[in-house]
Amino acid sequence: MPDTSSKAGVNPDGTIDRARAKRMLNPFDRYALQKALEIKRDSGAEVTCVAMGPPPAVEVLIEAFEHGADYGILLTDKRLAASDTLATAYALHKVVHYLGDFDVILTGLQTTDGDTAQVGPQIAERLNIPQITYCEHLSISDRILNGQRIVEGGNQEIEVHLPVLITVANSATPLDYKRFADVAAVKEFLRHPEERDKRIRTVSLDTIGANPNRTGLLGSPTVVGKTWKIGDVGGSCIVFKGESIEREVDELMERLRTDGRGVEELINA
Amino acid sequence: MPNPHNVAVVAEQFHGSLQQITSELIGAARFLSEKLGTGVSCFLLGHEITQLAERLVHQGADEVIVIDAPQLKEYATLTYRRAVIGILEHLGTPPQIVLMGSTTIGRDLAPRIAAYLETGLTADCTEFDIGDYEHKGKADPSKTGNFKNILYAIRPSFGESLKARILGPWKNPQMATARIGVVQALPLDTSRKGKIYNISVNFKQEDLRIKVLKTVRDVSVSVNLTEAKVIVSGGYGLGEPEGFEVVRDLASVFKNSVVGASRRAVDSNWIGYAHQVGQTGKTVRPDIYIALGISGAIQHRVGMANSKLIIAVNKDADAPILKFAHYGIVGDLYQVAPLLKKALIKMAKQKY
Ligand SMILES: Cc1cc2nc3c(=O)[nH]c(=O)nc-3n(C[C@H](O)[C@H](O)[C@H](O)COP(=O)(O)OP(=O)(O)OC[C@H]3O[C@@H](n4cnc5c(N)ncnc54)[C@H](O)[C@@H]3O)c2cc1C
Ligand SMILES: Nc1ncnc2c1ncn2[C@@H]1O[C@H](COP(=O)(O)O)[C@@H](O)[C@H]1O
Repeated sequence: MPDTSSKAGVNPDGTIDRARAKRMLNPFDRYALQKALEIKRDSGAEVTCVAMGPPPAVEVLIEAFEHGADYGILLTDKRLAASDTLATAYALHKVVHYLGDFDVILTGLQTTDGDTAQVGPQIAERLNIPQITYCEHLSISDRILNGQRIVEGGNQEIEVHLPVLITVANSATPLDYKRFADVAAVKEFLRHPEERDKRIRTVSLDTIGANPNRTGLLGSPTVVGKTWKIGDVGGSCIVFKGESIEREVDELMERLRTDGRGVEELINA
Repeated sequence: MPNPHNVAVVAEQFHGSLQQITSELIGAARFLSEKLGTGVSCFLLGHEITQLAERLVHQGADEVIVIDAPQLKEYATLTYRRAVIGILEHLGTPPQIVLMGSTTIGRDLAPRIAAYLETGLTADCTEFDIGDYEHKGKADPSKTGNFKNILYAIRPSFGESLKARILGPWKNPQMATARIGVVQALPLDTSRKGKIYNISVNFKQEDLRIKVLKTVRDVSVSVNLTEAKVIVSGGYGLGEPEGFEVVRDLASVFKNSVVGASRRAVDSNWIGYAHQVGQTGKTVRPDIYIALGISGAIQHRVGMANSKLIIAVNKDADAPILKFAHYGIVGDLYQVAPLLKKALIKMAKQKY
């Protein structure tokens, strides 16, 4: 569930920049991890996190442990490079098969770089299980899950039998940036190879029995043909902040007066 | 027999009324189909919705394939999945292109259909075109080729800073979802004639695994968000419903202005859904958009990022909106808004 496609936290030489590595958990996946931990709290379930990415992605799993996750699987294999959503979902569903039994799969809504929101439903399709996307709230009892999902102008209440795949809305409860599990305990088990291997398994396509022709470039039905920069959307905000609000407003007005956007034309005088 | 070579659109309706995205998708499909020299087919799914088929023709469809079944009364992933697969099986040959909306339905359904068909899907497109593509395939020689008349699915990526053209030349249908409010619908033509086919599908037990208990949707009459020149929006940062007085007050200094809101403000029942801007609200592009106490979540951003001038007021200097607005003021909106109002009036007076 944690996303690892983000480059933040990895130095050019491939080593991990510890200070920045914390950001590697895809922000959208923080909501999914939070939901998983809530389910664990309410039902005693075990939480296993799956990350697909290069070896440094293990940092994401460690971050998840520090929040209270139990097990982690890192799928890493050069042949996964350049997987699109279909190929990613193929690989991840193979990990699920490899793990065996499960009741609920939670994914983030989307990734920040790809933001397709496709991988979750495509895993569900391959596993032939129901899904609830854009889920904000859920409760489980007697192997029935009740979920509330966002729709245009409102919400929808849905009932399904387990197993099910949930994509968690970013308007659900966010994961606290503070760690609530015992960080020291995580550090401790990482020092013991045996314990570490029990908690973190690193697997390749061969380990999980995935067909390499269905992953990476070969398994991806789409390709990025061309990219280009767009206008001035993003990154160019002029922010006024200082000791006094009056000054900030004055500075903004000075800009508006001189930037030629014609704001004054739209004011009732 | 419907024409399998048409560009296909999966229509979206809610309790018998067609959604805005559908006419936009038909507009895009017409543009593509004219370049390909073919027509436009709409898939219409639901219960007691056959009467909508003619309207789809007026919106620009040449053919409408309808599945009308009680199982389709409420949208649920697996029944609608079965219905779309049913239509595709009925067509035999897969259409070249299938378009859906980038809505909470389209983004739920399209990836499942694409995975079922093992075909490519591009999410959240803002433009479409037809063109050629040559794949050199150094690492994947088996995919090398020169492809003609391929769908160009164009979408923003990396936080809206880039646009990317995505292609899936190897397999049909080439699938894509389109963002709301970015592709042009055609003017309604009530004299258009088209063919309507009713087909049926057998639902399996496994298709009925999702039970929709309740759908709550506010379909109140719309505020004129899309035509206003100025929108002043309030978010959860207002802290209380009365906060919208401040929003209204600031809006009142502008000609042709309306009040907008974030989903969180709407969900808190501070203001009606008709005011909501964003992915599940309205897509707007006014001359001026002022955001008061709105963090700038991606779903809000997609609804207003194309405004000509964005001014944000937020007390948190790290709020995402202060990255993509044009101007931002860091501060308490309850202090800033009244000062801003006074200063704007003064500026206009000085001009005359
Ligand atoms: C499928 C889906 C669809 C969605 N559709 C939409 C949609 O259409 N539109 C939409 O808006 N959202 C939508 N959302 C929700 C979206 O993800 C955010 O939750 C929402 O936009 C947040 O609203 P907000 O910015 O008002 O609230 P918050 O994120 O809580 O932000 C409040 C902001 O106010 C600031 N603030 C607090 N007090 C003050 C003060 N006194 N002065 C100044 N600033 C202050 C805070 O710093 C903060 O940045 C959708 C979510 C999903 C999952
Ligand atoms: N490489 C990956 N490893 C683990 N989970 C992933 C990966 N890529 C995508 N996901 C999951 O799928 C969700 C949707 O991603 P996307 O479809 O890329 O927007 C993410 O929020 C993750 O939960």
